[in-house]
Amino acid sequence: MTVVGYALEEAWLSLRRSGRSALVSIGTIAIAFTTLGGFLLISVNVQDVLDRWLQAAEMSIYLHDTASEPDRLALEQFLRTQPMVAEVEYVSRERALERFRNDFPELRDVTTGIGENPFPSAFEVRLRAGNGGDAEADSLSSEVAGKPGVSDIRYDRRWLARLVGIVTTARLAAALVAGILMLGAAFTVAAVVRLSLYARRDELEIMQLVGAPFTYIRGPFIMEGLLLGGIGAAVALVAIAILYSMLARWLGSDLAGFAGIGQLRFLGIAEFVMMLLGGVGVGAAAGTVASRAVR
Amino acid sequence: MIETQSLGKTYGRGLYALRDLNLKVDRGEFAFLTGPSGAGKSTLLRLLLLEESPTEGEVLVAGRNLSHLTRDEIQAYRRTVGFVFQDFKLIPTKTIFENVSFVQRVLGRPVEEQRRNTYQVLKWVGLQHRLNALPQELSGGEQQRVAIARALVNEPHLVLADEPTGNLDPDLSLEIMNLFRDMNARGTTVLVATHDRELIKWVGRRVIQLDHGQMVGAAEPQA
Repeated sequence: MTVVGYALEEAWLSLRRSGRSALVSIGTIAIAFTTLGGFLLISVNVQDVLDRWLQAAEMSIYLHDTASEPDRLALEQFLRTQPMVAEVEYVSRERALERFRNDFPELRDVTTGIGENPFPSAFEVRLRAGNGGDAEADSLSSEVAGKPGVSDIRYDRRWLARLVGIVTTARLAAALVAGILMLGAAFTVAAVVRLSLYARRDELEIMQLVGAPFTYIRGPFIMEGLLLGGIGAAVALVAIAILYSMLARWLGSDLAGFAGIGQLRFLGIAEFVMMLLGGVGVGAAAGTVASRAVR
Repeated sequence: MIETQSLGKTYGRGLYALRDLNLKVDRGEFAFLTGPSGAGKSTLLRLLLLEESPTEGEVLVAGRNLSHLTRDEIQAYRRTVGFVFQDFKLIPTKTIFENVSFVQRVLGRPVEEQRRNTYQVLKWVGLQHRLNALPQELSGGEQQRVAIARALVNEPHLVLADEPTGNLDPDLSLEIMNLFRDMNARGTTVLVATHDRELIKWVGRRVIQLDHGQMVGAAEPQA
């Protein structure tokens, strides 16, 4: 505790003395972590949307108008016995029309003008997530396509899988950018710590000559880096919170509505703690590297 | 307390600062190290403080060979030796109380003990009324007294001083020498490097004379 207390005391004094350079360093860390936090925020919300869409992914099996009742019943029986099928719902032509009218009341007149019901009857099949994945769904789809009475099959997961691929690539690119920014931030912290090391070189020489342990000599510089990183990350979290609340107020309901999720989500406790620890870690590592100049 | 065996230190190609030096300073002794500039006084003290390593020979302090200490052991050894420099080497951003208490702090002594010991040693050197002053607010003599207080606060068995009165006028020099005499009277071994013959005469202790890195004479205490 004595070493930590001493390091904290000295690091705080040094930060106050270094003034502008410390502010620049905190700013750089804050920018890096705001970018990282922004990516994280977008990532958790996109993941929510994807999860929701993946969960709701359906296979729609459209039937010919001429499909007989026994064909329909046989198909339903077949679907219910498939292990990857979670739920099967039969939507008759009448129900499909009614659903359309309810979902799009402004287009109600269009359907009354046509005269005949244009909607085919269909089975809406919800598949279980995981297990065989797309290959199993493909095989089910081709098996169903050969059944009597089936006119067409639509399967949402194919384009969702492509979307997941794009999102994963975007995430990797974002992580790379954040990593580069983080590296830049670490170099800035190391430069500031090195500056204060230089400013206190006489003091360090005296400390060495009176036999101060290296934990006392290097500790304040590691602590300085740690404080710079921690404060920078904390500033970034505040900035992200402000940006998020502004975005949620102006665009939140539109975005959430478009994405089909209840509301936009902010970072959780785990992400918060992770970012703070990340800042502290990057700062401490930079401080440690810089303090190794004292031998 | 201090023993050197065939001690040598060269800089560059064959430039001897010390050559085949064999000397002994007994426990509880007060000795002067003297000689002209370049005689090797400061080099010997630097070797004793492990600021540098010898090129040849051995240095033993309190029976311990200083040649093979690790970095952390060197720091631990330095904490057992008090050192007084010509230029005081006080930390300018710390008060004199902090300058002295710091060496207690790094030993992990309890805060109360640090305060008590620091106050006592600063009182001993007559600076108990300047505890919160910064070094640059003190005179040269006062700064050297702070440095002596710092060297003594951990109660070392050995105090080394390199030209401790080099920057002081004669009256202040005598004052500082009295402090060294007092600490020696308490049992501390003292080795002072100086070229001030008047001072050596006034204190009247054993003199080890160096010239061109070699011991050229050792005079017993004078009256």
